[in-house]
Amino acid sequence: MHKLSLILLLVAAPGFAEIADQHDHATHQHQISGQQVEFDEPRLNQFTNGLGSAQIAVVSVLGMVCDFCARGIEKTFKRDKTVTKIDVDLGNGQVLIAYTPDALVDRQDIEKKILANGQNVTDVLVKKI
Amino acid sequence: MGIKTFTILLCLLSPILAARPISYSGGSTLMGFSDRYKNSVYYHYSPTFKYSLGIEAITEKQGDGDHAYARATYLLNRKNTRHSQRNLYLHSGLSSRGLDEHFYGIFGDWETRRWFAGFSYQHTKTRKGDYDDQYLQLGVAPYVGEYGDLHTWLMIKARNNTGYDSWSVYPVLKFFKGGFLVEFGYHPKAEWDIHLVRRF
Repeated sequence: MHKLSLILLLVAAPGFAEIADQHDHATHQHQISGQQVEFDEPRLNQFTNGLGSAQIAVVSVLGMVCDFCARGIEKTFKRDKTVTKIDVDLGNGQVLIAYTPDALVDRQDIEKKILANGQNVTDVLVKKI
Repeated sequence: MGIKTFTILLCLLSPILAARPISYSGGSTLMGFSDRYKNSVYYHYSPTFKYSLGIEAITEKQGDGDHAYARATYLLNRKNTRHSQRNLYLHSGLSSRGLDEHFYGIFGDWETRRWFAGFSYQHTKTRKGDYDDQYLQLGVAPYVGEYGDLHTWLMIKARNNTGYDSWSVYPVLKFFKGGFLVEFGYHPKAEWDIHLVRRF
């Protein structure tokens, strides 16, 4: 019986996880217009100080409750050569990402990368400075 | 070199950090663990944030020698909100001693930046017999740190291993910063319960 339980766990669990993933993605497909983003103006000003010309993505994230949760987000975006600076704001559940002025900032790509870290994006606002 | 020595070296050579059973997609984690029952070193890799695969090398302290587990952990359910995250995981392992030695279990947690609650149930089958290991853990952060700060958690853990004990309740202190975590628990009967994590 225990062997059977073990085999069932190993085989069936990824299937459950996959179903959850599809559900999450569908739920958040329509929400990233940038209209729902409320940002911390002083923090944004501090973030952009000294950046010069750039595009700033203000990303609202669900589930970013600890350093450990957010660590992967920073690592993932730092691999992108068009990203020049990142700020994680645990208190407001937001990530600020500075892109080069000529970068193509794709909201769907941002959502996908954050979902790959295990959090959900509720909205993305892109500002040019 | 024994696992205990390796664990100590691991702690000395690498700065210590963080505690989730599955990393972000493409991430990996190295853990050292020690309590009255075992010393272990566990490495896992997460192809996606939904599951991790790893190897745990174990030295049993109750005279059953060294062995290793091939381990798998699956995120069954996660609920993200603006101020909290809740997780439910399944995990299992097969021993290098054969299919007759294995474990499986379920565990979960809920946390905000201030509060934490977690539970675990694990059934282990060995040549000597079966046993269950279960715990409940509650925690509070005395201060709410920002990203990159040193984070501190004060916790209380109630643990029961049917192979050895009845329930014991003891305090746990957890610190993490960046990719490193260290967790200490101590009970006069259960002795030290030490967990070290480095996430890459």
